[in-house]
Amino acid sequence: MTESSLLRKFDGPLTRDLLLSPGGFGLGHVPAKLQPTAVTTSVCGYCSTGCSLTVHLKDGEAVSLSPNTEYPVNLGMACPKGWEALTVLDAPDRATTPLLRDASGKLKPVDWDTALKTFVARMQGIQSRHGDDSIAFISTGQMATEEMALLGALAKFGMGMKHGDGNTRQCMATAVVAYKQSFGFDAPPYTYADFEESDTIVLVGSNLCLAHPIMWERVMRNKHKPEIIVIDPRRTETAMAATLHLPLAPKSDMDLFYGIARILIERGWINREFINAHTNGFDSFAEFVLPFTLDRVVAATGLSAESIERFATLIHEGKRVSFWWTMGVNQSYQGVRTAQALINLALMTGHIGKPGTGANSITGQCNAMGSRLFSNTTGLLAGHEFANADHRAKVAGILGIDEARIPREASWAYHEILEGVLKGKIRGLWIICTNPAHSWINQRLCHDILDRVEFLVVQDMYHTTETAQRAHLILPAAGWGEKDGTFINSERRFGVFKKVRRAPGQALSDFSIFRLIADAWGCGKMFDRWDSPQSAFQILKKLSAGQPCDITGIEDYRMIEESGGIQWPLASGARSGASGEQERRLFVDGRFYHPDGRAKFLFEAPRPMPEPTSAKYPFVLLTGRGSASQWHTQTRTSKSEVLRKLYPQRLYVEINPNDARSLGISPNERVSVESQRGRVTAQAFLTPSVPVGQVFVPMHESNANQLTDAVFDPYSKQPNYKSCAVRVTRIGA
Amino acid sequence: MSVTLPESDRRAEDVSPPCQGVVAPILADQSRFKAALGGLTPSTRLEHGDSLLSRLLADQQQLTAVEEFARQHDGGDLPSQSRYYKSLIPASPPGPGQQYAFEVDLDRCSGCKACVTACHSMNGLDQNETWRDVGMLIGGTTELPVLQHVTTACHHCLEPGCMSACPVDAYEKDPITGIVKHLDDQCFGCQYCILACPYEVPKYHSGLGIVRKCDMCSDRLAHGEAPACVQACPHEAIAIRIVNLSQVIEDSEANVFLPGAPDPQITLPTTSYKSSKVFPRNLLPVDFHSVSAQHPHWPLVVMLVLTQFSVGAFLVGLGLERLLSAELVSAIRPLHSLNALVFGLLALGASTLHLGRPQYAWRAVIGLRHSWLSREIVVFGAFAGAAVVYAVGSWFGFESLGLGPLLHEVVAWSVGAFGLLGVFCSVMIYAFTQRAFWSFPLTATRFALTTALLGIAATWVTLLALAVINNGPVTRLLVRRGDLICQALIIVTVTKLGFEALVFRHLLKKQTTPLKRSAVLMTGPLVRWTQARFACGVLGGVLMPAVLRALIGDVSPSAMSMLATSAVLFIACLAGELLERYLFFAAVASPRMPGTIR
Repeated sequence: MTESSLLRKFDGPLTRDLLLSPGGFGLGHVPAKLQPTAVTTSVCGYCSTGCSLTVHLKDGEAVSLSPNTEYPVNLGMACPKGWEALTVLDAPDRATTPLLRDASGKLKPVDWDTALKTFVARMQGIQSRHGDDSIAFISTGQMATEEMALLGALAKFGMGMKHGDGNTRQCMATAVVAYKQSFGFDAPPYTYADFEESDTIVLVGSNLCLAHPIMWERVMRNKHKPEIIVIDPRRTETAMAATLHLPLAPKSDMDLFYGIARILIERGWINREFINAHTNGFDSFAEFVLPFTLDRVVAATGLSAESIERFATLIHEGKRVSFWWTMGVNQSYQGVRTAQALINLALMTGHIGKPGTGANSITGQCNAMGSRLFSNTTGLLAGHEFANADHRAKVAGILGIDEARIPREASWAYHEILEGVLKGKIRGLWIICTNPAHSWINQRLCHDILDRVEFLVVQDMYHTTETAQRAHLILPAAGWGEKDGTFINSERRFGVFKKVRRAPGQALSDFSIFRLIADAWGCGKMFDRWDSPQSAFQILKKLSAGQPCDITGIEDYRMIEESGGIQWPLASGARSGASGEQERRLFVDGRFYHPDGRAKFLFEAPRPMPEPTSAKYPFVLLTGRGSASQWHTQTRTSKSEVLRKLYPQRLYVEINPNDARSLGISPNERVSVESQRGRVTAQAFLTPSVPVGQVFVPMHESNANQLTDAVFDPYSKQPNYKSCAVRVTRIGA
Repeated sequence: MSVTLPESDRRAEDVSPPCQGVVAPILADQSRFKAALGGLTPSTRLEHGDSLLSRLLADQQQLTAVEEFARQHDGGDLPSQSRYYKSLIPASPPGPGQQYAFEVDLDRCSGCKACVTACHSMNGLDQNETWRDVGMLIGGTTELPVLQHVTTACHHCLEPGCMSACPVDAYEKDPITGIVKHLDDQCFGCQYCILACPYEVPKYHSGLGIVRKCDMCSDRLAHGEAPACVQACPHEAIAIRIVNLSQVIEDSEANVFLPGAPDPQITLPTTSYKSSKVFPRNLLPVDFHSVSAQHPHWPLVVMLVLTQFSVGAFLVGLGLERLLSAELVSAIRPLHSLNALVFGLLALGASTLHLGRPQYAWRAVIGLRHSWLSREIVVFGAFAGAAVVYAVGSWFGFESLGLGPLLHEVVAWSVGAFGLLGVFCSVMIYAFTQRAFWSFPLTATRFALTTALLGIAATWVTLLALAVINNGPVTRLLVRRGDLICQALIIVTVTKLGFEALVFRHLLKKQTTPLKRSAVLMTGPLVRWTQARFACGVLGGVLMPAVLRALIGDVSPSAMSMLATSAVLFIACLAGELLERYLFFAAVASPRMPGTIR
């Protein structure tokens, strides 16, 4: 370094503030002021990609982090949310003590003892007056598997609740039902290596670039120069990178896929051998798709005949074709059948169970899969059925509880619980780690419902969420980074996350809160064995025995850690991830989970959009993720100043310049977007990437769901977020 | 079976008043509660009801990840991540005629913005500090729309605007790597580099009072590691390459840089953006149509207006002296020179308020060879020195300083010359940035007219002050010359307001040019400021002088009304110019890389 002189300072305190020094631990240079004394790894707590982060520790506490180079999921990369995962823990609006609404309607700090007593007294009071099933819970895809399981077991077996559901209803329910019906178990068959091994990648309703940047990383690492077919009404970042983009009319996916199936059958581009050996129902499916002629599909989708035929040809020519879908499919009034239309394409071409293939649902939240398997809501713990007496007996035996305490039927779905409030059947509601007042469809109605709840408890990291602000009691929760547990990612991989920060004030891990509530409720003994997330994991292992999601072969957290995560199934005696492959896929032997080992072709006639456009509301409203820096309702991501810089600060609406011109809307003008349910003000963003007649609004601003229409898939009960009718007008016009 | 109630229930009466109402009824209901438990006995509740809570609270504060999971690592030469970036950085340093440069593969930039957060995190930047940005371009047709994210940081230019502008030489361009590095401890926080960089690269850190910027992670590169952004891009969109300087110049001349980016010939940026796509001609930054008011830099507003006031006052004073008798000159000179000096010193005082670290203001002389800011500071320093000498001489007689009449003339003209030169340096500071609103002709006209306008107004105030002291000859002069001064003020003001209003003609343009942006800002978000500016201008420079002319024409003008009118004239003129200068900063359209929706 050049020497400093009186006139020129090359060194000094300001220079040293940004000094880099070798970090050790294989990290390369790190800021000297954040030099770690140890490192550990932790799986990220935002989305379902399940990246591993190397946490830099100083005296045991996290000071920084970087993506884990060795992990098979993210290969040394992370998206902005992961990079900023620690920052959001320091927000000033963290809930640090329980808050109870006093007589004047203000939320006032109380001690845990008071909070627990109030919780028990109010909830038991409601039960005594209205029956055990008059209280319910709404949980999340963002907590540890162990926490979800403890909550589900506590609420249903300990507290006598009948109804509980998770926010996974908003993201994954459709995939769950589609898989269950088609394969016999909720089993996404793929591993991320399939992104790299495909030669034909079909992405449906999935803006991977923004929603799952690290999965897009895997696509970009594909060495086979893959054809990338993106099916999305909008020309998204992902569509831009596609070799074929099919901007179909909203909700015409089923017509398209049935039409493609018809072409494949007609031209003999199907795998008869696979169909005969491993599936049921193909013949009636073939008959069903006959009316989906090219003309009909062209009319329904608005696509050109050439592009549709090109799509079919690419599927035919591909040696390793994989079909991937995300919320464009799941969040639909006919999502299950749409997902199955894709599953059918994979089945009829035999593109499943082999590298680079599959009908693959990309999950949303970090532990959506944990919720699907272990939340004890729609399904009994570990993929069992409430209605199945053998399953109940097995679970009761393993948990050491009276079998009679296990309900004989599944819970109501999310919207049925909310309707239950309207009908006076649900009086007490416990919302954990989710923010329905922001995220639920048809927001005004949702607010009305939440305000009718006699006793609303919200358990969250922050006391400022739209939902927490409506609560009677707020329980302060520790967040990701302040507790231990496992998440299961999109490709069925268990990953461990760790306590690397001290929770603020009196905040406790959700696991501890559940234990305290069990104790206060009077059923603590029932959960004596659940004394730590690790012990809970051992219980979950036992519950999984003999199930498709058998994890009895996983010893403990350390084994997960050392193996680079472990995908289910790993039955006892099977080769572990450490000694076996890190990337495993299902159905390699063509055996599915239905009793006869065969997959089913399932199909149904497409239905028109529930709220078609009209003269008064001439635009179709699409909603979705706005940027890679935002997570859902922004409870966490809005707490990082850096993330806040990376996304627009106001609600905006994407509108085609042609539509804008005919409405007299100029760029950046504040406009009104109005549906039958609500009206919001947004900044007009003129872009040809959204087709004429459609507008797009990102879901992250708190008022976006004032517009959406509460319609649900009849099978999955998942809300239809992505199509309703709106009008756009100049303000003051 | 005996049932012991959980302690938490037994103590229900103890809870604080707000909860009592809800808890009490429950106690009557315990039998149902017991039944609900289905025979479960919470037997040990009494003993450890509280202790479970305290145990869990204590446990929550225990951090055990280290003992349980501290990761082992093998201490290889290179970090483990290097396997992903090895091919993205050069294997050897640049040779003569070459330097390092960012290369961005636009086909691989998907807009995830991981680079921004990685740079922030791996460089230990402050909470809201970012050195990299990702913007977006859109265009094309409805049939074939195009959107393109663009990641951008410092372009480590061949002719860095920041470096030329810096008055304290806080920038250096590494002779081998070509990296433009900022010397944090050398910086005194004048922020001129921010105005001089067309790419908004240097970022001011108000807490530290200095600017900081991307140095291409030069320490990492020196150790064979990739910069943070290169390491962190999941799609390998950013690389460090060696570029030939001649190629950079050639590309800049041909304007092959990036659609929607500032003209590369200003600073010769080295970053290369590559793409296999043919971009449509209508590809524009998404923030192309958005205008936002810029930082007003209040200390600079005050400094510019008051230095021009002071210079104008001296010059008009000198000019007036040519027209007057020696007697009158000696009557006017002391007060007028003091008047000009006081505002000049105020201006220099205000200018230091703009520095993040004013204690290092003396360093400003270092950049004299290249920085217009250095030159401005030095020249105005000389101006102030000469003005002090002149003012002292005017009060106490030049003879008292041992100066003859010739030297007196020399000092007088030095003040004028240094003043004019200082104003010229001020003009150049802004002209150097190549912003349309700050172009040389526009800025020079603006500053010259301010100098004239305030000079005239200041001279009037001096005369009036003397009149109040009831100096006989001056009062007579006022009657004779006052009308001329008022006329001059009206003419200069009308010229200046007309000149400023010329910018509004750009509103008629179809294209969003930089000058149209300024006009849009002045008639949109800044319209109140614009209205106030023109109102003050008309009041102080047209209406009040007209009133004064009428008063002077009276047979016996009332001293009180003269005084009041003059006070309003002076304050309104000064306020008008301050507002004008506020708009000069706030309404400028700064060049920038493609931004985001805002």
